[in-house]
Amino acid sequence: MSLCTTRKHLLDLAEPALGASGFAVFAALACCTFFSLPAFSYPEFQEFVEKHSHKTVNCAMCHTNENGPVGEGKGQIGSLSPDEMKRLNSARGALEAGQNVDSPILNKFGNEIIKAVGKKKFVQLKSDPSKLFDALPGKSDLDGDGIPDAQEYMDGTDTLNKFHGDPGKLFFVNLSRYKLHIVLAIIAVLSLNFGLLHLVKGISILQSKKGD
Amino acid sequence: MIDLDKAAHKVSGFLSERIPVEKLNFHSMVEKKEVPIHKMSWGYYTGGLTMFFFMIQVVTGLFLLFYYQPTVSDAHVSVEYISHHVAGGALIRNMHAWSSSCMIFCAMVHLLTAFAMKSFEKPREITWIAGVLLLFITFTFGFTGYLLPWNQIAVNATKVGLQSVEYVGQYLPGQLADVPRILRETFQGEASVGQSTLGRFYALHVVILPLLLASLLGLHLLMVQLHGMSQGVDKPAKKAEKFISIFVFKDLSLWATVFLALFVVALCIPFDSFLPFPLLAPFNALGSTPQGIKPEWYFFFVYYPLELLPFWVILLASMIAVTVMIFAPWIFKGTSRRTLGFITLSASVYLVVMTVFGEQIYEFFKH
Repeated sequence: MSLCTTRKHLLDLAEPALGASGFAVFAALACCTFFSLPAFSYPEFQEFVEKHSHKTVNCAMCHTNENGPVGEGKGQIGSLSPDEMKRLNSARGALEAGQNVDSPILNKFGNEIIKAVGKKKFVQLKSDPSKLFDALPGKSDLDGDGIPDAQEYMDGTDTLNKFHGDPGKLFFVNLSRYKLHIVLAIIAVLSLNFGLLHLVKGISILQSKKGD
Repeated sequence: MIDLDKAAHKVSGFLSERIPVEKLNFHSMVEKKEVPIHKMSWGYYTGGLTMFFFMIQVVTGLFLLFYYQPTVSDAHVSVEYISHHVAGGALIRNMHAWSSSCMIFCAMVHLLTAFAMKSFEKPREITWIAGVLLLFITFTFGFTGYLLPWNQIAVNATKVGLQSVEYVGQYLPGQLADVPRILRETFQGEASVGQSTLGRFYALHVVILPLLLASLLGLHLLMVQLHGMSQGVDKPAKKAEKFISIFVFKDLSLWATVFLALFVVALCIPFDSFLPFPLLAPFNALGSTPQGIKPEWYFFFVYYPLELLPFWVILLASMIAVTVMIFAPWIFKGTSRRTLGFITLSASVYLVVMTVFGEQIYEFFKH
């Protein structure tokens, strides 16, 4: 389906040339055959994460669209503009690690994966998706929640939402991050308790005096 | 033919025993009030804690009202805006979510301890019934509030919940069979869960239910102050402490400590992080229903049995449970506290097991 969609897209692009000559038609079809690869999604990674984390995840972990790259929806191949198609093809060419990738069908984390490991190695990792954990940069934390992206990948949590992560890990990260706030809250509560104690004591003394 | 005078006399006799007008003064209700000290004294604090969490709900809810937009197009965006762009918004929203769960937990513990302590005994029947109704309102608060973020789990769980209401009609006789359908249509407002549903749930959550709860809470508290704390144990306690100042101070001190704990938890653990992230995505009417749709934890005790057993079994059990709860002062009039304690323990074990292990039990029987 995605292949057809891409072909249609390329034919649309070549439309002005079609009337010009038969060669243009041939060129467009050749483009279609050689340059528009089918939209691969890699469910092996999703399956691994779900099995490992015991949490439901979907394509939105790495893709722009929660239903993956195939289709006509936002962030899916069928809806891409010519400029986005160009970016997609450029991303597909990022076979080695270290190249900046800006694929419109991938979200920030998806692009980060391709940048970190390269398309070639990423495809190889399909056979053992657990190794993606080691392949990703240990310090990368796109949402800034304090849990590295590689760890969030293993935990099946959202790498792009700072309010989503493993609850236990978030607790300790935030405890350390907000220690000043917590100390101030403890001081406030202790002061409140101290004040209340004396206020209520005062009221009871007044009451006993009234009784006398 | 009913003798109206006799009936009126009976009603006025019942009310005058339960609402002693001569005690309606500050001296009797506050200054003179004492709280017994015994092994179950901790139970006296559970009601206050529930009220404290309700107060937090009101305050944090008012802050959320400043930004929340009750429309299907903006509800999810406004919640995201509160969390990501409003100063302290994430903390306030988390406190609201955490304290709602704490409120329901404390309300359930309060009801169970009050039952075990036989606090429903004459003349406290009105206090008990008001308390049971308050618990139901609290659950309704949870159900209506769940829809407001308008994400996948919110809308899909509400659909299941409303559908369950309609199923009840199949088991009701005659014209009563239409009542659940009418109720569902009234609350849903349109063919499927949509803008009308969101608007109605919002109105229920922020206006109607708070007013109802405040009125019933007022009655409940008035009754508690009028009759004082129940004895709680078989042998009258030898010691007691003054309501003003000792008990009130202990209560306030506990509230402050609980507030600190709530603050730390809300600051450090986003409530949403317990759910898989696909369920937190904005609701997509054209998309398929995602996996893992379930209600909040406090409905697990009825949700998992509902998944395993025929609907009529759960309906019958629920109706019996509700009837027993409401009429407990008369049903358990002569029951000893020991027996009540055993019933409470059994109910507590059931609630804890279904809440904590409900999913595993469901998986075990289904596969």
